[in-house]
Amino acid sequence: MKRLRKFLPLLIAVVLLTAFFTITVPQGRFLTIPNLLDLVQQISINAIIAFGMTLAILIGGIDLSVGAVVALVGTVTVAMLAKVGLPIALAMGLAVAAVIGSANGYFAARTKMPPFIITLAMMMIARGMALRFNEGRPIPVPDSENIFLALGNARILNLIPVPVVIMLATFVIMTILLHRTAFGQHLFAIGGNREAARFVGIRLRLNEVVVYVICSLLAGLAGMIHASQLYSAEPASGQGFELNAIAAVVVGGTSFTGGVGTMYGTLIGAVIIGILDKGLNQMGVHFSLQYIIKGLVILGAVYMDVRRRK
Amino acid sequence: MVLNGVDFDLHAGEIHALLGENGAGKSTLIKILGGIHQPDAGEILLDEKQAEIYDVVVANQLGIRLIHQELSLAPNLSVGENIFLGREPLRCGLIDRRQLFCNAERLCDELGMTEIGDVQAHVSDLKVAQQQMVEIVRALSVNARILVLDEPTASLSETETESLFVILNRLREQGVGIIYISHRLGEIQRLADRVTVLRDGASIGTQESAEINQAELIRWMVGRDIPEQYERKDCKPGAVALSVQHLCNAWVHDVSFEIRYGEILGFAGLVGAGRTELARALFGVEPAESGEILVEGRLVNIKNPGDALSAGIVLVPEDRKREGLVMTGSVAFNLALPMTHEWNKDFRPDAQRRAEIVSRGIRGFNINCSNQEQAIESLSGGNQQKVVVAKWMEKRPKVLILDEPTRGVDVGAREEMFGIIRKLTDAGMAVLLISSDLPEVMRLSHRLVLYRDGQIIHEATTESITAEEIMAQLTRN
Repeated sequence: MKRLRKFLPLLIAVVLLTAFFTITVPQGRFLTIPNLLDLVQQISINAIIAFGMTLAILIGGIDLSVGAVVALVGTVTVAMLAKVGLPIALAMGLAVAAVIGSANGYFAARTKMPPFIITLAMMMIARGMALRFNEGRPIPVPDSENIFLALGNARILNLIPVPVVIMLATFVIMTILLHRTAFGQHLFAIGGNREAARFVGIRLRLNEVVVYVICSLLAGLAGMIHASQLYSAEPASGQGFELNAIAAVVVGGTSFTGGVGTMYGTLIGAVIIGILDKGLNQMGVHFSLQYIIKGLVILGAVYMDVRRRK
Repeated sequence: MVLNGVDFDLHAGEIHALLGENGAGKSTLIKILGGIHQPDAGEILLDEKQAEIYDVVVANQLGIRLIHQELSLAPNLSVGENIFLGREPLRCGLIDRRQLFCNAERLCDELGMTEIGDVQAHVSDLKVAQQQMVEIVRALSVNARILVLDEPTASLSETETESLFVILNRLREQGVGIIYISHRLGEIQRLADRVTVLRDGASIGTQESAEINQAELIRWMVGRDIPEQYERKDCKPGAVALSVQHLCNAWVHDVSFEIRYGEILGFAGLVGAGRTELARALFGVEPAESGEILVEGRLVNIKNPGDALSAGIVLVPEDRKREGLVMTGSVAFNLALPMTHEWNKDFRPDAQRRAEIVSRGIRGFNINCSNQEQAIESLSGGNQQKVVVAKWMEKRPKVLILDEPTRGVDVGAREEMFGIIRKLTDAGMAVLLISSDLPEVMRLSHRLVLYRDGQIIHEATTESITAEEIMAQLTRN
């Protein structure tokens, strides 16, 4: 019950937005099952990235490199598909993500460099590496790679998109990890009072590295789905994904100063941003105006959250 | 270099009180025991075996539990989660929350800490006394052999204190060794078996607490002879510079006093008495909610530091690195900052005017630096402190508030700072001096105010009161 009350404002926002678009989108095209399935499919990638971002922000950090990791992992995986086959290509893609995440985590935990700067640098490095493949040109996914293409495009029972299933599975795992395990508990403690966490013997550095690795791995997973959806690996794709993910996280009530946040909140945050995107599009709002509205919504949501907490 | 030769022993099943003035080294000593600091020399024996306490985890394994003066809880977690932080009960690898809260509740009941209330409540929603209890429960939730409490009753009410004593007595019977730090002498005599006094980082001696009375303890603590009337020039006080009437806010409770030109009014008190909060109220950092502040008899409305400055009140804050200086800047940057409007008019900075202001400050206060643009960080603590005072002088303040002006400053620089304070007073400034160093505040002040719990409890001329009397008043239960 307590949890429900905490999320009530967010849920009300979801209901209000849905109602608004149900009325304003012409010919009642908004509130239909196919349209809503489409909507959740579109938010899947952002939500998966945002789940990882939640952990980074929760411990008082941030990961700006996720968008570039989407592109890099997509490129590596697709480039390797033809050479080594699906399982090894997927493993290599995730390995690349893990390396980037470890580097982020290592520098964040071991040096005094702020995570913002570390991951900003890593964003450029990863983007550059993605662009070195195939001289920056897209690499098409061979038509024979059915399974890989299914990752982003197939529908289970001809209804539920696979990315949605992957997103929900990730959500469940991440929720358990954050809210049910000692690891998650310790992340809250680190974000809330680093010294207190240290005084009870929590291993700050190890936890920090693990957080950035998870964040990168989820971005890598999102990169594979993205490449599959595009039928090709685009080295220039994923630009701005980090900002969308951060928006979902903060709209979902995770505090930028650390220590406060939930996976449910992030999921709802991603849904709210998804509804806005889709609804405004279907209303035929000019894209310039869409940006302005989205910015205002984020500002309003975070303002309300800060005020409520005070 | 805070401690300098401390001998201390603790028996199982004993409450051993550690006494000393502010800055005598009590906190440093227990931080070494808790594995937070490392000693440069000397050894720690546990059960007659040498113990290397090189970090917090080791201290915990050895059964040494610290309850810090500053609370170390995660405010965003619940009471139960804080108690079991780092050793959560698990089932199938997941945290068993039901078990956790159940255990937490049982523990609180067993220890008589029922006032904590709901163990599922967030720590940030608790009162300070309740948070203190959570710390105690956490420390006792593992088998502690040595329990160290640093001023545990500072924020507890009387009934809460009583229930803490019951618990401590019970633990003593169970054979736990307890180190108890407090300023409240009455408490110590009731509770402790033995007392050790620290002074200037060294142990002065240990006594059975039944064999020593309060007067003797105070003499031990104060120690140094305080020269009567040391160099204190006769005060020729002028008109009333600052008059404060019934000042109140969340930390200041109905405070009234006056300072005249050419006078130093000393605020004596223990750390945490609320003197800094009073200074912040006068300077408009956390403004007063009611009461009056009059400068030269004129009512002034101080809602922010800007108001205070225009009224002629300046503050040299307690924490110079955080509040007094821009640590990334140079000597010149810091000295010229308050006077920016003087040397930078209409977007045209006047380098020569700035250099004049800066060099006046450096010369006037004998600030030891190689050149004006030297980084402030590379200066000694004493010279940094001189910069904090000097930067206000171009403003010709009427009232100067000094909050712990000699903290973290070596002996030589301390004397120099005394000279500066006297010189400014002789020139007619009214000075409000806050210092937790009793000899210092007695040496400098013309009049003394004893401050405790946000209130003035006594006011006297320096000649009419002794250090022992002051300590007795400040530490009385």
